[in-house]
Amino acid sequence: MGQYKKIQDKTLTAMWKYLLKKEFRQFLRDPGMPRMVMMFPFLIILVFPYAANMEVRNIKLAMVDNDRSDQSSLLMEKCASSGYFEVKSVSASPEEAQRMMDDGRIDAILTIDTGFGKYLEGSGPMQDAMPVGIKVNTVNGTRGNIGSQYLNACISGFVMSEKGMDSAPSSQVEIRESYLYNQFMDYKLFMIPALIVIAITMMCGFLPALNIVSEKEKGTIEQINVTPVSKTAFIVCKMVPYIAVAYFMVFSCLLLAKIVFGYGCAGSIFSIIIFTFAHILVMSSFGLLVSNYSENAQQAMFIIWFFSMVFMLMSGIFTPIESMPEWARAITYANPLTYYADAMRGICLKGSTLADTWFDLVCLLGIGGLTTTWAVLSYHKTN
Amino acid sequence: MDNGNKSVVIRNLVKKFGDFTAVDNISFEVAKGEIFGFLGANGAGKTTAMRILCGLSRPSSGEGTVAGYSINREQEKIKRHIGYMSQKFSLYPDLKVFENIELFGGIYGLTDKQIAKKTDDMLKALSMEKARDMFVRDMPLGWKQKLAFSIAMVHDPQIVFLDEPTGGVDPVTRRNFWEMIYKAASDGVTVFVTTHYMDEAEYCDRVSVMVDGRIEAIGSPASLKEQYGASDMDGVFTKIAGRAERE
Repeated sequence: MGQYKKIQDKTLTAMWKYLLKKEFRQFLRDPGMPRMVMMFPFLIILVFPYAANMEVRNIKLAMVDNDRSDQSSLLMEKCASSGYFEVKSVSASPEEAQRMMDDGRIDAILTIDTGFGKYLEGSGPMQDAMPVGIKVNTVNGTRGNIGSQYLNACISGFVMSEKGMDSAPSSQVEIRESYLYNQFMDYKLFMIPALIVIAITMMCGFLPALNIVSEKEKGTIEQINVTPVSKTAFIVCKMVPYIAVAYFMVFSCLLLAKIVFGYGCAGSIFSIIIFTFAHILVMSSFGLLVSNYSENAQQAMFIIWFFSMVFMLMSGIFTPIESMPEWARAITYANPLTYYADAMRGICLKGSTLADTWFDLVCLLGIGGLTTTWAVLSYHKTN
Repeated sequence: MDNGNKSVVIRNLVKKFGDFTAVDNISFEVAKGEIFGFLGANGAGKTTAMRILCGLSRPSSGEGTVAGYSINREQEKIKRHIGYMSQKFSLYPDLKVFENIELFGGIYGLTDKQIAKKTDDMLKALSMEKARDMFVRDMPLGWKQKLAFSIAMVHDPQIVFLDEPTGGVDPVTRRNFWEMIYKAASDGVTVFVTTHYMDEAEYCDRVSVMVDGRIEAIGSPASLKEQYGASDMDGVFTKIAGRAERE
């Protein structure tokens, strides 16, 4: 009996070699997969950060000058040269400017009323209202908001310099801001770790699910089920190429970011490896769950589409969790991407260590334990 | 249960899905080296019964052994000793011919050396030496099915299950296929085959006909024809399957 057991163990280990060979052959032979894997890091580093960018620039501005003084033209010049605005019109009448906004051709109107020049020349404190008006299109709230802030900053800066600091009372408080971790507030630096998170989610969660479902559709999984291949061996071997690719993507993205933008990872590579592994565990078991409950690729696609929307939007990747309502925040706590993205950003930007991010890791492993158990229980070779 | 010269021994096998009884208390035996035809109309419960024999499904009740192992408790051991070729063609289409042989050889524990020898022998026997590096998806259906049969036998199983192996292939290829089955049986392999072609039923040593989950008739084609007063198996089948009450 011992002898028989030994032979069994030997054939079991040998079996893994052939299963892995099969998976890599199929992976590399797939018409899209290897190309997609090579393209992804380039897209993530060179294309997406520019597109997934919340910095507001190129605000289209019309300026209406009713004052026609030297000061008013200086103010307009200052706004035009600030770099935030794309000046569409400088000589419009108020009605014309309003029409341009209604048509959606401009985002903001700066109106300088008569008396602006006089206002600046006048001495004494500025107790009267300044004869300058700002109108902002807030269809896109963030853009409108930030646009009006820029305009405000431009105008008050200009007024300050014209009137001279002496006009300001000595009690004025000077505020100096200091930005930590991402000094230049570069949105790209903030998005790259999160985009890596999305790529790993796709690679290790959704693609293997589709792969398993396609074996179901072709009937090849049935052929494997009548062989002595254990379900663990089958699933693990199926995952190995995707895990290899996930790590390849993480490191090629970090390397590219370093080469192209000069961003180094502030934290240790080891913590990144640990977190990526935890996330792979969660996502691959999730993918297996999807494939267990879908009979064909179409069904699987629907489930994947639904969850990818939730995963991405409810994770703090694009919008801060802190500003979500209570109930929405509760959903983000059940979302593995929340923890992985938080940890990746912390490690890459702040240099967080495992000691700082232990909570993320515990949550990720907790979700992983749950999904893995569920996936294993619902996967049946026999029924 | 004495099964010295029996490959399959089944006693009172029942499989229920909820209220529906797919297999209703069947018992039969198949001897070693026998070609056993497992007939029945669509939905008669053939596939369900066959899945239980292959260790893909658990019986609701009943006992039995396949290749000497219990269908209730030793399903993984059964899988080691049987070959299976499904009605739905199931080699990997995106793997080459030799890669498919390698994969299934490896799964059943053959060494690289054994696999290499098997591959050469198998391709020679099938006269497919030139197709070695061909993708399975590019092969004609008849070739695929002959290859699938050979691969199901790659580990020299005691018994091979064929689920409608000749569906959709031309008469010449079907004939070739049955020559392969005879060759396997003469080497001592038990062949358990389901089919809808009644001329193929004539080639079997013994056949059983399932109706509504029960085995209505079992015996050699000659004895069945005599019993039901039909000139061929087609007549026998029509008479028995005509009693079916469920769709």
